[in-house]
Amino acid sequence: MGRLMIAIALFGLFAAAASARPKDQTSIYKSAEAKHFTTAEGVELSPAFVDYFYAELRNELTKSKLVTEVIGEGEAVDDADAAKSLVISGTITEYKKGSVVKSALIGFGAGFKSLKMDAGVVRRSDKQNLCTIQVHVKVDPRWNEKVMAKGAAREVVKEMKKALTEGAKSTAPEATKPS
Amino acid sequence: MAPLSLGNRSLRFAAAAFLFFSTTSIAADEPKPKPENTITLQLGDPVPMQKFEHSPKFWISDVTDRSGNPQPMLVLKERGGIFLDRQPTAIVKDSLEHSLKAANLLAPDQASADLVVRVYLFHFGLASGSALDFFGKVEFSGMVKNPKTGESLEVKATGTSIANGAVRKKNIQKNVQENIEAALRDATRNFVRGTQLKDAVAQLYKGDLPVPTSAPAATPN
Repeated sequence: MGRLMIAIALFGLFAAAASARPKDQTSIYKSAEAKHFTTAEGVELSPAFVDYFYAELRNELTKSKLVTEVIGEGEAVDDADAAKSLVISGTITEYKKGSVVKSALIGFGAGFKSLKMDAGVVRRSDKQNLCTIQVHVKVDPRWNEKVMAKGAAREVVKEMKKALTEGAKSTAPEATKPS
Repeated sequence: MAPLSLGNRSLRFAAAAFLFFSTTSIAADEPKPKPENTITLQLGDPVPMQKFEHSPKFWISDVTDRSGNPQPMLVLKERGGIFLDRQPTAIVKDSLEHSLKAANLLAPDQASADLVVRVYLFHFGLASGSALDFFGKVEFSGMVKNPKTGESLEVKATGTSIANGAVRKKNIQKNVQENIEAALRDATRNFVRGTQLKDAVAQLYKGDLPVPTSAPAATPN
């Protein structure tokens, strides 16, 4: 009984700590435009995959709250907001279909579908490259390739968030440094 | 003619029965529009327009369905089907007019319009996504034409949305409706706030300036 009480108390403590964290962190950037990723020569993926990945990337960007607004491809941005606007583009460099037989017989990740992509984030106003991301996603060959797009989009946004927040932290003291 | 043997007869009967039941089961699977499986799509608040140097008056002349979908009003076939209450062409036309009207950029009629837009709809509704969610997509292109000069330019727009999947019929209907509405809003926004429209307006409409009557470069010798 005593152990149960301790477990409940610990759970309550964790829950309180989690709720105390700021949920709505203020976004550094005002808007982000995700572009349709291009496919490198030899990559056999349907245009539907690229479309779905584009939608999923926008969805993940909205969920991450990294930017205040996620705009569509080719939308106009006010000149005043261009310095706080990001443009995300990239290329799918490699896609391997995988093998169900290998996956079933060997296991341990053998025969998995594999997708590699390079993404770049630039600032709209001066086209400065803010970060470059390389993502490698592997999924079970029996799964739909759109599931792979979902995982890849999540990974791109996660890496992007990490790189941009680290970049913001490292540039913040420089900005306040007296010249 | 030799009389049919018992085996031959039963074989024929089985084949006929198989054909009959397979046709009736296909007919039974075909969903029918009913009030409970019909959704009404609305854009909601109008999409704010971008600022143009010279504000022209637009007119949406026509929306043509180029999707090649034989049943454009059927958005989901599974689970008894989900239907739209209107044709997708009418929904797209309404949503564009709604946003243009709110920004006071909609002409009262085609004759008084500075720029006439003819829309070609390529996709409206759900597209193939992962089996875990609904992927809504609206894709169209507008031919923006200056009726005075006859010049025209194409403006493309795409809207996408991803909504969570559902198990219950009621939730599926709700999620699909929200998903397509979000994709429609996204496509409308992509059109009215796009740089392509901005460039087209800048090129095709120069305000109330008189149109030059002589164009030596354009006339063939």
